[in-house]
Amino acid sequence: MRKTAFWLMAAAGVLGASLAQAQAFVWPQKWTTAKLSEVKRGGTLRGSTISDYRTFNPFLAAESGNIPSVMCGPGGLVRRDPTTGEWIPYMAESWTISPNKLDITFKIRKGLKFSDGRPITADDWVTTWRIHTDKAVGSNSYDSFFIDGKPIVVRKIDDYTLRISYPKTDAEAFAVASYCPWPAHVFGPVYQKEGAEGIKKMWTLSEKPENIVSPGPWVLESYTPGERVVLRRNPNFGEWNKDEAGNPLPYLDRYEIRIVKDTNAQLAAFLAGEIDVYAPSTVDQISQVRQAIQQGRLDATIKVNASPVASSQFIVFNWNKASDPFKQALFRSDKFRKAMSHLINRQAVIDLVYGGLGTPMYTSVYPVLTQWINPKVPKYEYDPKQAAKLLSELGFTRKDREGYLVDSRGRRLEFTLATNAGNAQREQMAKLFVDEAKKVGVKVNFTPIDFNTLVGQLLSSGPDRPFDAILIGLSGGGLDWPFGSNVVPCKGNLHMWNKSGQCLDPRETQLDALYSRGRTELDFKKRQQIGYQMQEIEAQLLPVLYIAGPNYHPAWNNRLGGEHPDAILSSIWGQRELELTFIKK
Amino acid sequence: MTQYILRRVLYLIPTFFGATFLAFLIIQLAPGDYLTQMELDPKVTPETIARLRSQFGLDQPIYVQYLLWMNNLFHLNLGYSFSYQAPVLEVIWPRVVNSMWIVIPSTLLLYLVAIPIGVYGAVRPYSFGDKLFSFLAYVGLSVPSFFLALIAIYVLLQIKFKTGVLLFPVGGMTSSGFEQMGRLEQIKDILWHLVVPVLLATANDIAGLSRLMRGQMMEVLGQDYIRTARAKGLSERVVIYKHAFRNAVIPFVATLGGLLPSLISGAGFIEVVMAWPGITPFFLDAIANQDLYVIAGFLTVGLVLLLLGNLLSDLLLAWVDPRIRYF
Repeated sequence: MRKTAFWLMAAAGVLGASLAQAQAFVWPQKWTTAKLSEVKRGGTLRGSTISDYRTFNPFLAAESGNIPSVMCGPGGLVRRDPTTGEWIPYMAESWTISPNKLDITFKIRKGLKFSDGRPITADDWVTTWRIHTDKAVGSNSYDSFFIDGKPIVVRKIDDYTLRISYPKTDAEAFAVASYCPWPAHVFGPVYQKEGAEGIKKMWTLSEKPENIVSPGPWVLESYTPGERVVLRRNPNFGEWNKDEAGNPLPYLDRYEIRIVKDTNAQLAAFLAGEIDVYAPSTVDQISQVRQAIQQGRLDATIKVNASPVASSQFIVFNWNKASDPFKQALFRSDKFRKAMSHLINRQAVIDLVYGGLGTPMYTSVYPVLTQWINPKVPKYEYDPKQAAKLLSELGFTRKDREGYLVDSRGRRLEFTLATNAGNAQREQMAKLFVDEAKKVGVKVNFTPIDFNTLVGQLLSSGPDRPFDAILIGLSGGGLDWPFGSNVVPCKGNLHMWNKSGQCLDPRETQLDALYSRGRTELDFKKRQQIGYQMQEIEAQLLPVLYIAGPNYHPAWNNRLGGEHPDAILSSIWGQRELELTFIKK
Repeated sequence: MTQYILRRVLYLIPTFFGATFLAFLIIQLAPGDYLTQMELDPKVTPETIARLRSQFGLDQPIYVQYLLWMNNLFHLNLGYSFSYQAPVLEVIWPRVVNSMWIVIPSTLLLYLVAIPIGVYGAVRPYSFGDKLFSFLAYVGLSVPSFFLALIAIYVLLQIKFKTGVLLFPVGGMTSSGFEQMGRLEQIKDILWHLVVPVLLATANDIAGLSRLMRGQMMEVLGQDYIRTARAKGLSERVVIYKHAFRNAVIPFVATLGGLLPSLISGAGFIEVVMAWPGITPFFLDAIANQDLYVIAGFLTVGLVLLLLGNLLSDLLLAWVDPRIRYF
């Protein structure tokens, strides 16, 4: 009897929960070029990816564009508004920040549901954080939950209230809070019983798609190894994600991603109309797409030079050469590095390496992060005369019989420049630099070497490291604070020019201090000023010589509607929000 | 014969250990390891990388890693893929099956086309037809397969631009919407995708096999017993197919063993260019990422098949040719 009463109450409770109207997040129409009146429902968007998927497990997935991140979409307590770059509430409806700025308390939206119909609550965020921060799991997100080695803590206050506590004030606090919640009711019991080993066995590629639970816009329908993944709309997502007319999102029924290992094959598939979205990276690919469009063979749109790509290419000189004091003194001299910057013909690099479709770089901030770029930073542009003048000030006034500069003691100005073999673009950049250097009498010996050997040399530490100069690139970095946490600080693992473990130049010390100040500054305007100041010091110190980077050229088949307006069509925001994309025909 | 077989089987054991150790050593001699790529990631701390290194056992000496791996092999466990975080066999097998879709039909086609061409060339040496086939075969041999694939894609695209019809897909193994098709539809779809890669994979090997057949056949046709057969007044067709061809084909028995390892080794760069989800792109990825156990595991399976294939060939030959047994 009592049991029956209990079941009745439980049933009533469930009913009550499902009748409570989800508080919707409304997707602003200004995020898309489409009008509400032209939007259609249904259809399949066909994309492609270069590398195969490795797992469905959100705690093990490490490749970019992995399946869990696609399924989850924008999921997280907060997300960015692409039109402003600001953090806005998403799965949370609001937040409060404690007076000491170390705790952020989030109110979670009610009515959020996983694809299996279970509600998304504070437990899911707590369990997800716990598993990510278990060393034995080996999650790729592990380091993002620590600041200077101190942990960020996620606590449940009640089912719909969550508190995240930071060891320091942090400019990237919201970026940390934007992690995706995975179902505690799926992972929790396994983690309780078997720990990290149990988690690692879950959701491998051989798992049945119907067992994969998603918090986001897509659920997994099928995966064919090396061929494609097919995702289906998650109807529960549409209960709380609406367009301005109140229609549930996404509009699409399916999202298919083909795995295409070769860029030529990708181009062919786009030209044949087999895939809908594409971002060509070489001049040749761009011109083929353009031609096909102009000659009416392909009904598509391409936006050439939409924005720079968030990546850098640079030359770094080794300051730690105890065994060669002559070179060490040279590489540590900013006059020498300025001279070298004057020898980098950035325009020639853009013309020859990127076919005219690239952007020059002068500081560590990617040109695409326009709000962070300090327009007043001095640039040591291509100027061989100025380079020769600076080198003569360093004592290199005479040339030897072969035409190379020597100092008063007859020591030749000569060094080795390495890059990773097989990277055609970097090899071309290096050769251009060698030619320019030769014109003013600097002998640069170019050696392409194996990538892993190069990384080994670059990241070695101590007073005597085994290279002169290396040409390489980095990518990654954030909109909140675009400086590298392990690049700028003198003890950083990627402080590539000086790995002695301490600052050698007073300006390094300054940068180190400014980095920490900026990272803990919560006011954007003030943080931006610190960033500007850092770029000025960088430009003077030139710890690395930035060269140039490629541009982003999104293309899509005109079957699709709902791409970003031109203002936010960039390598940061991409060409579209999938949720607002629809099939026209 | 029994003794011969036993001896051959015993030889396999040291060969297997030597070859696997060498393979393991060479993979390990390459600079860096699976985690080197991660070291350039500004978001990952060195402590994390060091921890992963010890979790993956990559901080152990090479011989220890080899012995652990061998120990697993004897339990029929090929090890664990770093990048897939799953058993090697589980991630390799579907790819091998996909490759077989190309390899098996193209092998059959190869024999069906190359042997008649070889016979024709031997019967009518230096005729126009012989020269034409030789020329085409050498073109197939000399143009790298990936380039042929690119040309094929180009031609298919041009046809589509001119007529609006896509004769054959320019890549992949299945069409969009494959998962919603019926069984028969699915098979049809795969066959439609198969045509171009199979033709390309065959084109490359026709030259070698047809020249081999032509040489064998010419040699046999020059023998005394053929003259005798002709003298007896047998029709030319009977002479060629009943007497000459049967003897000329014997050496091909020896090549049958070699087909075993090629079954799993895929169709090479054709798979990469035609976006075929076979073993080649997968294996290239594994090499680029230094996914140690995937490379070693795949090589081991190939090695075992090679050893078995050779054994099989030798036994077949010994069975066909008594002289071999007494070496």
